[in-house]
Amino acid sequence: MANHRVGETGLTESRPPNHHHHHNIPYAVLHGMNVPTSFIHQEGSAFGFGELEEAIVLQGVNIRNDEAKAPLFRPAATLEMFPSWPIRFQQTPRVGSSKSGGESTDSGSAVNTICSKTENQLEPESPISTKNTTPLDHQQEMASDFSRTGTSQNQPVAKLPQEKRRGSTSEKQLDAKTLRRLAQNREAARKSRLRKKAYVQQLESSRIKLTQLEQDLQRSRSQGFFLGGSAGAVGNISSGAAIFDMEYSRWLEDDQRHMSELRTGLNAHLSDSDLRIIVDTYISHYDEIFRLKVVAAKADVFHLITGMWTTPAERCFLWMGGFRPSELIKMLISQLDPLTEQQVMGIYSLQHSSQQAEEALTQGLEQLQQSLTDTIAGGPVIDGMQQMAVALGKLANLEGFVRQADNLRQQTLHQLSRILTVRQAARCFLMIGEYYGHLRALSSLWVSRPRESMMSDDHSCQTTTDLQMVQPSQIHFSDF
Amino acid sequence: MHYQGESWGYYMPTRSMASDPMERVVKLASESAVVVFSLSSCCMCHAVKRLFCGMGVNPTVYELDQDPRGKEMESALMRLLGNSQAVPVVFIGGKLIGSMDRVMASHINGTLVPLLKEAGALWL
Repeated sequence: MANHRVGETGLTESRPPNHHHHHNIPYAVLHGMNVPTSFIHQEGSAFGFGELEEAIVLQGVNIRNDEAKAPLFRPAATLEMFPSWPIRFQQTPRVGSSKSGGESTDSGSAVNTICSKTENQLEPESPISTKNTTPLDHQQEMASDFSRTGTSQNQPVAKLPQEKRRGSTSEKQLDAKTLRRLAQNREAARKSRLRKKAYVQQLESSRIKLTQLEQDLQRSRSQGFFLGGSAGAVGNISSGAAIFDMEYSRWLEDDQRHMSELRTGLNAHLSDSDLRIIVDTYISHYDEIFRLKVVAAKADVFHLITGMWTTPAERCFLWMGGFRPSELIKMLISQLDPLTEQQVMGIYSLQHSSQQAEEALTQGLEQLQQSLTDTIAGGPVIDGMQQMAVALGKLANLEGFVRQADNLRQQTLHQLSRILTVRQAARCFLMIGEYYGHLRALSSLWVSRPRESMMSDDHSCQTTTDLQMVQPSQIHFSDF
Repeated sequence: MHYQGESWGYYMPTRSMASDPMERVVKLASESAVVVFSLSSCCMCHAVKRLFCGMGVNPTVYELDQDPRGKEMESALMRLLGNSQAVPVVFIGGKLIGSMDRVMASHINGTLVPLLKEAGALWL
């Protein structure tokens, strides 16, 4: 209905001769034709059009009422928003037309002044009305003015069908229908506004969350994933586990410091007694983490036993919530040369006894698992709660095993320092620290290995794990 | 590993005189080279038994849950060790070694084997 031509009726009817000068004024305007607001904007939007349209319609309705009574234009209160209409316009009554109250302004600038006045009057409303369903008497002024495009789409427009419709219905029915429609439009506008607001808020919060996640990821990458999987699963971690993770990461920082002390001590060729102090400090540093693990085992044994406090590569070698002492000794044996015969025997005997102890603990744990399975597996459940209580009691024994395993680890390190000389012990502990440092670095590299490059190839996006494993050459281990 | 129970009449008179549970514990401990007080349901006790067997040692095991006076002995052991866990408790050559952590520590630091040899439980 935009750009409806003014009913030819309007144009063909008597045209005041003095209108010839005003080509820039739309005929509809000149003739006081009804110009629907729709020719400006089709879109309903959330800028209070509902309210604006309502106001305009009500004015139109008022005008209608007025015109029904007198052919002459009788300015209603609201119509004073068009005071710039030339008086003579008002004095040329047209059927179905309305004029604004006017002042004798130059007709050339009539439109502009009209516009400005209208704007002033309609300050609280948005200047643009988009609802095209209601014919409005003096929309022509609004139209010309508030046209967003700025084009003087001042074409004479009229809602002929609506005019006719309007003519056919009674005033009362029209009001009700119009009012209902207005209310609906208002409602729709409001809903649309709210939806938009909610959407924007959602976008904002998602954006914030995204940046936070990126920061977390960056941080944990730079720390070499000390926090293991717990960094990403904040919601799922128990407080005991979280506390331990924090303490462990602090312990790792201390570890770095101790290691550099060992390094400088070795390179500086300190006296044995001085070096002994450094080595003993390092051993106490290890005693510290075992103490922390005792507390952690009590708080959350599964956090330790699943290795979630370590990095992925370390988890490969996990035994009862930590490193396997005999494996550590195996790693050290070749690097600890030169050793005296007695030392060699001592180291091998240490390896042997630690293997026996590990085996005993492993078998004890196996029996625990078997016993647990027997308790909760199938069979007639006579007393489910009792069954669960017994199972819980058995599960609690896990803490004891992790404690014994840590005890074994601690004893092994102490025994190493007893077998070795001070310098050998310093080198030994440095080697251990560097070994685990490499494992942690390996974990970081693994986690951040480039996977996108596989997609940039002509492979399909569904890269299988096989495909991923085939492409380790993309990673360059420069340090190793 | 051999288990001793009340059915060994040979020991009956001696046992019935040891009314104090702690006395009984000490008495039993001194009768074998390696004595382990255990509970049949305890997995850590199983681990300690496996450790000795793995070393080729044949300990004497007393399952306290199968002993009529076991409950008293358990409490006595708990008091002795200051532990919440009464078992496993290991005696070698009549001397108290302790629970699992002490046994492990002594094995790692190399003192366990000499003790076992001394008590006649190991020959090598």
